[in-house]
Amino acid sequence: MEIIILLVVLGGALGLSVIFGRYLARMIVYEKRPLENTLGRVENGFYRIIGVDKYEQMTWKQYFLAIVITNVIAAGFLMAVLLYQNDLPLSPKPGLSFDLAFNTAASFVTNTNLQHYAGDQQLSIFSQMVGLIFLMFVAPATGIASAFAFIRGFIRKEFGLGNFYVDFTRIILTLLLPIAFFSAFFLLFLGAPQTLDSTITVGTLQGTSQTITIGPVASLESIKELGSNGGGFFGANSAHPFENPSGISNVFECILMLVIPLSFPIAYGHLLGKGRGLSILAAMLIGFGVMLALGFSEQNGPSGLETRFGSFGSALFQESSIATNTGSANAALAGMSPNAVIGLFLGMFVQAIPGADGAGMMMMIIFVILTLFLVGLMVGKTPEFMSMKINPRDVKIAAFVFLIHPALILIPSVMAYTTESAQSILGEQTTPATFTQVLYEYSSAAANNGSDYLGTSANTPFWNWSTAWIMILGRYAPFGLMLAIAGSFTLRDRKEVVEPIKTSGFLFVGVLSVMVFVLTVLTFFPFLAMGPFSM
Amino acid sequence: MIITTGVAYPLLVTAIGQTVLPSQSNGSQVILDGKIVGSELIAQSFDSPKFFYPRNSTDSGSGVDPDITPDNALSQIPRISNATGIPMNALKTLVNLDIARNKETNALVFAPDYVRVLNLNVELVKQYPEVYAPEVGVKGGN
Repeated sequence: MEIIILLVVLGGALGLSVIFGRYLARMIVYEKRPLENTLGRVENGFYRIIGVDKYEQMTWKQYFLAIVITNVIAAGFLMAVLLYQNDLPLSPKPGLSFDLAFNTAASFVTNTNLQHYAGDQQLSIFSQMVGLIFLMFVAPATGIASAFAFIRGFIRKEFGLGNFYVDFTRIILTLLLPIAFFSAFFLLFLGAPQTLDSTITVGTLQGTSQTITIGPVASLESIKELGSNGGGFFGANSAHPFENPSGISNVFECILMLVIPLSFPIAYGHLLGKGRGLSILAAMLIGFGVMLALGFSEQNGPSGLETRFGSFGSALFQESSIATNTGSANAALAGMSPNAVIGLFLGMFVQAIPGADGAGMMMMIIFVILTLFLVGLMVGKTPEFMSMKINPRDVKIAAFVFLIHPALILIPSVMAYTTESAQSILGEQTTPATFTQVLYEYSSAAANNGSDYLGTSANTPFWNWSTAWIMILGRYAPFGLMLAIAGSFTLRDRKEVVEPIKTSGFLFVGVLSVMVFVLTVLTFFPFLAMGPFSM
Repeated sequence: MIITTGVAYPLLVTAIGQTVLPSQSNGSQVILDGKIVGSELIAQSFDSPKFFYPRNSTDSGSGVDPDITPDNALSQIPRISNATGIPMNALKTLVNLDIARNKETNALVFAPDYVRVLNLNVELVKQYPEVYAPEVGVKGGN
């Protein structure tokens, strides 16, 4: 039975990735899509409203600036909604504190969805629906658009990185919205509610009164999983039966989380060589396989788990969610076995097995560049990628992208202890278990993942401000650097010779996987040893 | 974009959902004798020994886990049989019927076996209305 579930999830996700990978490839190089004329006309309407010339190409700096502008506007909108939700319609609730609103806006715009609030108790239907769902489209569309620009940098000389506003519009309207729409209905059919009422009150069998929190859950749930967002309608996230009603919805949500991240290597294969795409896909699946194996290696729960998922269904969902940096959870992290938690850390440290929508693919290409550099040193050849020389500046930037991540995790973890902020919410006694929770919080923030142990207990100014800035740096610093790499590659000459080190085939997949593993373990091992290894 | 994704999209899903799938849209309400007695997806508390109990709310991931394992349900049968006089075999049959029903919901293979507590208790009230009359304000019966 368990093997069938696993096969359905992997087979379903890969099967859909073949279809959507082809579609993404068409979007990247502006080829004709199904219904092109109709879609084009709708999109042109949007370009006219925002005043964009769709033929205008952007440099990497312009592209990055457009990302920042769009994201700041979207985050500002959400922050205003959260601060003033008491004055807005649909079951108003008290506005959030300034630091919590800032944290939440940063969290949703960076595709993290770390939640220091309980959605069902603290947010109005308006905030959840108009505020959060909007951001849940903006954040993945930004990630996917960046990956489009990044991949365009390698296609051919002066192909151009594209126009952010055009990509952003096309991704939301013709990729995310249609899939989210149909997925919402499937989830609705399986039992996720969809109503504008915020509560229902019933008389129970034994004659007492029960108030049940409800709302437009299905429409949030679908884009939550599809867009690697992860922020739940309810504080309990996908453990809540309204977000994830059955074993079938559990499997479906796993597929939704995996489909876009796994479509990227397929699209890459269509554009830059089938072997290269499949090799990257293989490296991603090897990493994901290690995470799954860790998740299944020990019995989880039953405390902290939902009966309808059991140990297997919980581990499958948790590992898929963290592997794709979605960060939703169908069980309490405290119910997961130590091995499963180590698997979760692995996913957040690597961020590319397969990683979030768009961001995971870019990170994997950074690992490819680092691998080519290191292997080039070993065999004494100048590293090349896509028949272009990799110069010292590329390697420096790639190494910097890699090193930002541990810095953003380890520095604030230490700060949380030196300022006593960790002790104030986790107790004076520091144990491997409490250290793991702190390390997890910042790993999750830096990786733009969003799963966490702390939840509403971290709603203090220190945790709200520190994690907000870590999320922002963890998102935009790598994006800027990655676009800079793409910007320089698009101007570079291609040589018509065979690459000295092939970036496809079994050998390359093996070397790449080992490199990813070694780089990650070397960086984080001391901290893992103090935390989850000692639990 | 705010209008498209934040307003039009959820409202359209709501409008179609409320029309085509009203039961699911409104939280899968369980109705007994024309009265809403709860949601089949949300645990409700039972303290009378005549009913099956859900898990303690802090034991699960959601705190409102509507289900228990078959072993848990079977272990509650002697207590319920004592309190109600319903034969153990009859209770066992009802538990097994509920497990079978949930298996069907999950296309046989997608979830471990479990018992949905509220559905099972409602079934008890329907089958033995006179036994449950003191606890349940309504008459029961099919």
